[in-house]
Amino acid sequence: MSDTTSTGPRRTLRQRLHLPRLGVLFGTVWLGGLTILTLLANHVPAAVPFIRYYDTKVKVNGKVKKYGFGPGLDAWFGTGKSAEDIFARCIYGAKLTLLIGIGATIIGLVVGAVIGVLSGYFRGWTDRIAGITTDSLMSIPPLLLSLVLVLRLDDLKEQYSWMGWISRPWQLSLTLGLVSVAPFARIVRAQTMVLREREFVTAARSLGASRSRIIMRELMPNLVPAMVTVAFTGLGILIAAEAGLAFLGMGVEQPHTWGKMIDIARDDIEKAWWATAFPCLMLFLTVLSFNLLGDELARRFDIREAAV
Amino acid sequence: MRYFAQRLARFFVVFFIVTFGLMILLRLGMNAPGDPARTMLGGTVTDEQIATANARYHLDDPLIMQYFWWLKGMVTLDMGTSVQQNIAVSSYIGSRVLVTLFLGLYSLALAIIIAIPVAVFQAYRRDTRRDKAISIVSFGLVSVPNVVMAVLMVLVFVRTLGWFPRTGEKIYPWDDPVEHFRNFALPVFALTLPVAAVFTRLLRGDMIRTLQADFITLASAKGVSVRRILWRHALRNSLFSVLTSIGLQLSGVVGGAIVVEQLFNMKGMGTLLVITILSKDLFVVQALAAIIVFVVVVVNLLVDLSYAAVDPRIRQMRSLG
Repeated sequence: MSDTTSTGPRRTLRQRLHLPRLGVLFGTVWLGGLTILTLLANHVPAAVPFIRYYDTKVKVNGKVKKYGFGPGLDAWFGTGKSAEDIFARCIYGAKLTLLIGIGATIIGLVVGAVIGVLSGYFRGWTDRIAGITTDSLMSIPPLLLSLVLVLRLDDLKEQYSWMGWISRPWQLSLTLGLVSVAPFARIVRAQTMVLREREFVTAARSLGASRSRIIMRELMPNLVPAMVTVAFTGLGILIAAEAGLAFLGMGVEQPHTWGKMIDIARDDIEKAWWATAFPCLMLFLTVLSFNLLGDELARRFDIREAAV
Repeated sequence: MRYFAQRLARFFVVFFIVTFGLMILLRLGMNAPGDPARTMLGGTVTDEQIATANARYHLDDPLIMQYFWWLKGMVTLDMGTSVQQNIAVSSYIGSRVLVTLFLGLYSLALAIIIAIPVAVFQAYRRDTRRDKAISIVSFGLVSVPNVVMAVLMVLVFVRTLGWFPRTGEKIYPWDDPVEHFRNFALPVFALTLPVAAVFTRLLRGDMIRTLQADFITLASAKGVSVRRILWRHALRNSLFSVLTSIGLQLSGVVGGAIVVEQLFNMKGMGTLLVITILSKDLFVVQALAAIIVFVVVVVNLLVDLSYAAVDPRIRQMRSLG
């Protein structure tokens, strides 16, 4: 992005009024609105009468018709293969998509941060082993690794009863979390390497602070900005990855996430474009919002573009 | 030389860890003797068939021995037989590797071909309106998931404009170049645009930083032409981030290729991978994954070595990470 944070006398109207950037505004409104709508639709359907129920069929003259409506007043985003309302499905699908993304990010961030901090702080052999681990994880294309992992978890779940709690959404969160460990670990490591040479760490060490204290009380708080920033960018990427998996048939069966909706309607793309186009649009705008917010945070905290 | 040896060692270690890890992952849960053979052969099989498969593919050996037998099999193209088709895995895969290879190669090459001139232009005309417009577009493109990009391509170019077919028939460039490129155009564009956007953004940032360096000021003071400064002096010194990210982007392109092949019904490794995963044809999955990992690791190795080619300082550096 171009930096428009000009310090000269010429300041734009937006800067004089201290308004947030357009992108940030858009991202916040979109994500906030989507979250509220999907929560209301799932839990308090009475509050949002304009969203149909998940299973409601939109009938044309009293009959269920495949792709009966195009986008319009009857059904805002048109209707799908089994006469379901695409708009309603888009809203219901958001909840699981977001939850899987957030779950995966948390898992990846926690594991990645531990690996990153330890290897950045201790260096030496710890760093070598961690480096080889992240290198190895990164040599498998994320989508390939997640496909294999979801498949294997399916089999193992049948075989070992103690793994029974792992439902499909959990499977996806765990898988995508594992996939994102390596990039998170790399970024945290790089930040730790910079921080550990700073004066306040030397000061703490000369005061006799223990290693664990330095890591927990001195380094960790300073790593939070970087971690929050990459979490936002990572969320966008993981949501896109989830869509890819769902598109390939490894998603959640019910309710349909956006990727699954695209998968279902893709063969009829030529006669009913809306059934694929609108889930795509939702996906794009959501990923874009996360990226916009991540970009703004990176600018605020002055973190060099961390390409996850 | 030391740098070279270090990178090579890392290459072998990573390849071993990943492929061995994959093998363990795919064998988890096969506890009873004969289980791997049963999975490999599929359906109901006699004890005799299991014994034959065990003898041929050494499925009874300890896992680490099995790994080396498997590796030997991969190298000699004896990758076992497929459950579904009952034909050798190698012949099953062979015809499909090329499709994915073309897809990946074209996408990455095109991304670089697009990114370099755009980024150089942006860095030269920094903060002008055109620069800002391109930045916004590239930021948007980075946020487009592969699925969305591919669907968009179909909607615009197949459904609305009708310029391209939505088939992935396998036509080799040496048979009919025109049809070959017509078939690959949409999938390649769907894959390449987000990658090109990433490259552009990285390169623009680096170019701007390089253009502020003292040696550029010196060069222009000496009267070197703008064109020469941009394309020779500045570009060469700004290529690091892009080079580094080629390795990373390759992983993304492979993942994207799986999705794109599926949408365009191309007969490549991606569609095969999905088919075999859904039908639990684990031995084919293992072979496919190993091939993909091998390519990714080799490309990363080449990227590391090309640092040394671009920057003489690295050749002299004693160790790097």
